[in-house]
Formats: sequence, C-alpha cells, structure tokens
Amino acid sequence: MLALVNVFAETAVNDVNQAVAEATAKNPILPVVNEMFWTLVFFAILWALMKFVLLPPVMRTFKERADKVRDDQQAAEAADTARVDRLAQYEAGLAGARSEAVKLIEQARAEGDAERRVQVGAAEADVASLRTEAAAEIAGAKDRARGELTSSITDIAVGAAEAVVQKSIDRSAQVSVVEDYVAQAGKN
Amino acid sequence: MIFGLEFPPIENLVEWPNWFGPEGSWYGFNKIAFISLVAIVATSVLFILGNRKRSMVPKGAQNLVESSVAFIRDGIVLETMGPDGMRYLPYLVSLFFFILVGNIFEVIPFFHMPANARMAGPAVLALITWAYYIAVGLKHQGPKYFINAIAPPGVPKALYILVVPIEFLSTFIVRPFSLAVRLFANMLAGHILLVTFSVLCITLFTASLLALVLPLSFFMLVALTGFEVMVAFLQAYIFTILAAVYIGSSMHAEH
Repeated sequence: MLALVNVFAETAVNDVNQAVAEATAKNPILPVVNEMFWTLVFFAILWALMKFVLLPPVMRTFKERADKVRDDQQAAEAADTARVDRLAQYEAGLAGARSEAVKLIEQARAEGDAERRVQVGAAEADVASLRTEAAAEIAGAKDRARGELTSSITDIAVGAAEAVVQKSIDRSAQVSVVEDYVAQAGKN
Repeated sequence: MIFGLEFPPIENLVEWPNWFGPEGSWYGFNKIAFISLVAIVATSVLFILGNRKRSMVPKGAQNLVESSVAFIRDGIVLETMGPDGMRYLPYLVSLFFFILVGNIFEVIPFFHMPANARMAGPAVLALITWAYYIAVGLKHQGPKYFINAIAPPGVPKALYILVVPIEFLSTFIVRPFSLAVRLFANMLAGHILLVTFSVLCITLFTASLLALVLPLSFFMLVALTGFEVMVAFLQAYIFTILAAVYIGSSMHAEH
C-alpha cells in the first residue's frame, strides 16, 4: 500500500516537474521582450525620420512637379487661347481683306461699266453723226446724180425729139416732163 | 530525424543568441534587432540617395523612392482614406518599408532570416497600429468613437445584442491579433519552407543514390526563393493597407 502511494506520489511529482519545465521553457512562437523593445525603438526612429526628414523632400518634389505640370499646362492653354485668338484675328482680317477686295472689284466693275457705257454712248453718237453725214452726203449725191441724169435725159430726149420732128423744141418745157418721169422711175 | 532527414528543431531556425546583453534581458541585441536596425538604415540611405539630386524627371534611387511613395499614396492612402488620410502617409510609408526590409532578409545571403518570422516585430507593429487607429478615432470622433465602433448606427436595435460583442471583438481584439499573426505566420511558414528545401538539397547532395532528385529539389528552392520575395512584398503591402483601412475607418463614424 505504501509502495503504491510512493508510486503515485512519484508520478505526481514527475508530472508537476514536467508541467513546470514546459511552462518555463521558451516557446519559439511567443514574442520575446528584447526583440519587441528593439522593434519598438527602431520603428519609432524610422517613423520620426520619415515624418520629419526623409519624406518631406519627396512630397516637396511631388508638389513642385505637380505645380510645374499645372503651370506648363496653364501656359500651354494660354498659348492655345492666344493661338485661337490670333487665328480668329487673322481670319477676321482675311475676311475684311476679302470683302474689301470684293468691294474694290465691284467698284472697279461698276466704274468699268460706267466708262464702257460712256465710251459706247460716245461711239454710238459718233456713228450716228457719221451716219447722218453719210446720209446727207448720199442724199446730196443722189440729188446731184438725179439732176445730172435729168439734164442728160432731157438733153438726149430733146435732141432725139428735135431729130425726129426736124425742128427746135423748147428745152425748158420738156424738163418738167423728164423730171416727172425720173421721179416715177425712181419710185418703181 | 524525419524520413532520414536531419531537420533542425524550430528553436534553431528562429531563435538567435544575443550579440550583446545577457540572455533573457529586455535589451539583449540579437540578429532580429540588427535586421530591424538595418531596416531603418537601408530605408534612410535609400531616401537620402533619392533626395540628393532631385529632378523633375526622376532617375535611379529617386525614381525608386518616388515610385514607392506614390504607390503607397495612390494605391493605399487615397484609395482607403481619401485626401484626408494624407497626414498618415509618413506612418504608413514607415510601416511598409520597415516590414518590407525586415521580410526581404529572408532571401539575403548570410542572413536568411526574416525579422517578422519572430512574433515580436509583427506584435509590436500591430499594437502600434491598434493604438494609432484608436487615437485617430478619439481625435476625430471624441469618446463617441468607442460607441460608434461597437454599435454602428443604422443597425436595428434588436441586433445590437449580437452586433456589439461582435464589433467589439472584431475592432479591438481580432484586428491587432490578425494583423500580427498573418504577417508572422506567413513569414515563418516561408522561412521553414526555404529551410526545408535547403536541408533537403544538402542531404541529397551527400546521399549518392538520391542525388538524382537533387536538381528538382534545388529548382524548388530557387523557385520558392523567388516566391518568398513576392510574399515579402505582398505581406508588407497587406499589413500597410489594412492599417490604412483601420485608420480610415476610425476617421468617420459611418465607416
């Protein structure tokens, strides 16, 4: 009985010792204080460095780059606006010049037409005058030819009549007959 | 010994002795602390180089720094918080770089240990984020922040019996815990995976008959190394964007 108690007691002591040993043995999974301490210290240092020393220049560069991009973009937009304005001005000038040219052309055409009309009028007046003169000359020539023809016919007719009747005929009395005849023949 | 492989115990993979300070002391400086120190030095050097010759058309280090900051600003801050969140950019940039550099040491020769494969780093960062978004909530909403956070407006009153405990657990308990565990577990899993394939390669290299499988194992090791680079970036991004979401949700009651 005593031996059995001793065995139980020894077993219990062994179990307790084993439990104590397991409890006091380091578990490799659990965190250890010295590593936590150094991690805390080094991370705090890095955080402070990052906040006050390392990151601000990077952020400044980002800002400067963003500002430069924005400024360049604004300058490009301003240049584009100026270009559009200049183009509009050029096109407006071009349109003005074009309308001025059209106006000048129209004016020149109107002046040309007026001048042409004046010249044509003058030419037509000259032609009419010449035609009138020519007509007068023709009428004169015709009268003269008719007078000469009448005289010749009268002479021939009087001569022929005198030859037929063997006596002198009054020429002045025959003139009116010949003139009537010539006038009648000119009508036919 | 697993399938003939001499796999090191997990303590050997993640626990590092102190370089100075007694073991178990609160200030003991070990490899993990050194990686955290390198995280601030590397980040600072990168930013100093990037800021040295600032030009309108960025090149080299300036391009890298500006791309990273623009990525966090446009992809995280403006997406999750809007323009009002720009004041929290320094915190989020610090968080991103601190986690990324800590993670990337998983694949850097002679280190091969991500700082965040130890629970301490993710836990501290999660606790800082937790305190930070509570502080932001108090700043923007005053003491009503706690009421708005656990009892969102617009919910039928009968549902508050369920919603209040769920929201309390979700906002104040689960968030920091999930933040820390997600990062820690991913990085630890990746680290163990790389160690596993490294051990396998070494073992296959020494075992003459199994050496035929060595190229496959080595290829997997190389592929997983590349994969872990992606995981390192992805986990830094996830932690940062979740921190931004939590801070953003504290800024306005309706979130």
